[in-house]
Amino acid sequence: MHRHPITCIIPPHMLKEIIHNGTQAQREFAMQTMATSEQFRGQRHATRDFASVLSFAITPGKERIIYDARQGSQLPGVPVRREGDPATSDPAVNEAYDGSGLTYDLFSEIYGRNSIDGKGLRLDSTVHYMKGYDNAFWNGQQMVYGDGDEDLPAAQRLFNRFTIAIDIIGHELTHGVTEYEAKLAYYGQSGALNESMSDVFGSLVKQYQRNQTAAEADWIIGEGLFTSNINGVGIRSMKAPGTAYNDPVIGKDPQPGHMKDYVNTVEDNGGVHINSGIPNRAFYVAALEIGGYAWEKAGNIWYIALRDKLTATSNFQEAADLTYQVAGQLYGAGGAEQMAVKKGWAEVGIIAGSGTPPTPTPTPTPGDGCLTAIFRSLGLMRK
Amino acid sequence: MSDIRIQYERTGGFAGLKLATRFELDDLPDEQEKQLRDLLDELDFFELPVQILPARPGIDQFTHKIEVESKKGKHSVLTTDSVAPEKLRELIELLNAIARTRRNKD
Repeated sequence: MHRHPITCIIPPHMLKEIIHNGTQAQREFAMQTMATSEQFRGQRHATRDFASVLSFAITPGKERIIYDARQGSQLPGVPVRREGDPATSDPAVNEAYDGSGLTYDLFSEIYGRNSIDGKGLRLDSTVHYMKGYDNAFWNGQQMVYGDGDEDLPAAQRLFNRFTIAIDIIGHELTHGVTEYEAKLAYYGQSGALNESMSDVFGSLVKQYQRNQTAAEADWIIGEGLFTSNINGVGIRSMKAPGTAYNDPVIGKDPQPGHMKDYVNTVEDNGGVHINSGIPNRAFYVAALEIGGYAWEKAGNIWYIALRDKLTATSNFQEAADLTYQVAGQLYGAGGAEQMAVKKGWAEVGIIAGSGTPPTPTPTPTPGDGCLTAIFRSLGLMRK
Repeated sequence: MSDIRIQYERTGGFAGLKLATRFELDDLPDEQEKQLRDLLDELDFFELPVQILPARPGIDQFTHKIEVESKKGKHSVLTTDSVAPEKLRELIELLNAIARTRRNKD
C-alpha cells in the first residue's frame, strides 16, 4: 500500500534548503515536490509565483521559438518569435506562442513538469505549414500547424487556422509528453489512449486558461476550428462523443462514447481519433464526479498514470485499472476520487480494478511517498 | 475518355476526417491538369515505391494514398506528410486542393 502524499508533506524549509544547496537533480526534485504539494494544498497562485521564480533561477524554464514555414513544407522554417519577444502582427504566431506557453505553465505549475521531456526542452512550433493544410501535428521534435482552407474561396472553407483553439496546441504538445513517458504505441487502443491523453490535457489547458470547473467547462476539442459553413461546435466532444458535428458535407462525428460502439477499422491507425471518445468520456465523468477544477485531482491521476504506469502497449482496460490504482494511491483506497474514476470507466463499459493491474511496482517518485523520495534526493538512500 | 485517372484518399490527421476523390485528368481546369501532368512526369510516378512510410506512424499526420491509372497500368503510393519527398508533397498539396474543392460534389 502506498502512502497518501498529503499525509507526508515535506516541510517547505527543507525543500528550500535543497533548492539552494542540492545538486541539479536534487533541486529539480525539490522544485517538483514543492509545486506538487502546493497544488494539493490548493495554493495554485502561490505555486505559480514560486515556480516561476524557481524556474528562472535554477533550470532552463519555458523557452519557445515560433517559426514560419511561409506555406512551404520545410521544417522548421524561419524563426519569427523567440522567448520574451513582443507579440507580432500575425495571430497564428501569437497563438502558437501563448498556447504553448500556457501548456508549459499547466504542466509546470500543476504537475511539476519542466516541459515536454521534464528537462526544459525548448518548445518549437511552426505555423503556416504548406498551402491549404487543414491539420496540425507533432513530428517527434516540434509542433506544426496549418492554416486550414485559407486557399479556398470563403464559401468553400471548412477549417480556420489550427492555432485558433488553445486545446489543439495543448493536444500537440501533450503528444510530446506521451512520447517521453508512456510511449503509447500509435495504433489501436494504445493509440486511442495516446490521442485521449492529448485531448485530456488539451482540454485542461483550455479550462485552466478560462478558470473553469469541470461542471462549467464545455469539454469541446477544437472549438472555433470549423468555419460557419459547417454545422458543428468543434472536432470532438469529451462529454458527449459523437455529437460535435453533423453536417451534409463532412458527415457526422463518428466517435463512440461506450465500448459497445467501439469502431474496428484499419484507417487512421486503427481509429485512434475515433475510439479516443471512449477514454475521453471516462475522464470527463470522473472529473465531473470529483468536482472542482478538473486539472487538480482528475488531471493529476491521469498525469501520474501517463508518467509512471502506462506503457507502450497499454489498452483501455489497463488504463482503467491503472488510473483506478493511482487514484487510490494518491487520494486513498475506496475514497471518493477512486470511486469517481471507477464510475468514469463504468459509464463507458469498462470495469476498473477488477483484476490485478499488469505493471510491476514502480520506482518511488514524488507521488509515491515523500519520505522515501526526499531521503533518496538527499543521498540518504542508495536508490 | 481521359488517358489518366486518379484516385486520392487522405485519412487520419488531428480531426480524423477522411477526404477522398476520384477524377479523370480531363475533368480538371487546364492549368491544374497541366500542373498535375508535369508533377507525375517529374516524379516518374510509376517508379515510386508502393509505400513511403515512417518507421513509426506519424502522430496526427495524414496518410495519403494516391492511385494513378493510365495506359502504363495502375500504380499506387502510400505515404505520410513528413516522409514524403518534396516533389511528392507538391503532388499531395495539389491533390488536396482538388479534393477539398470537390468536397461538395463527391
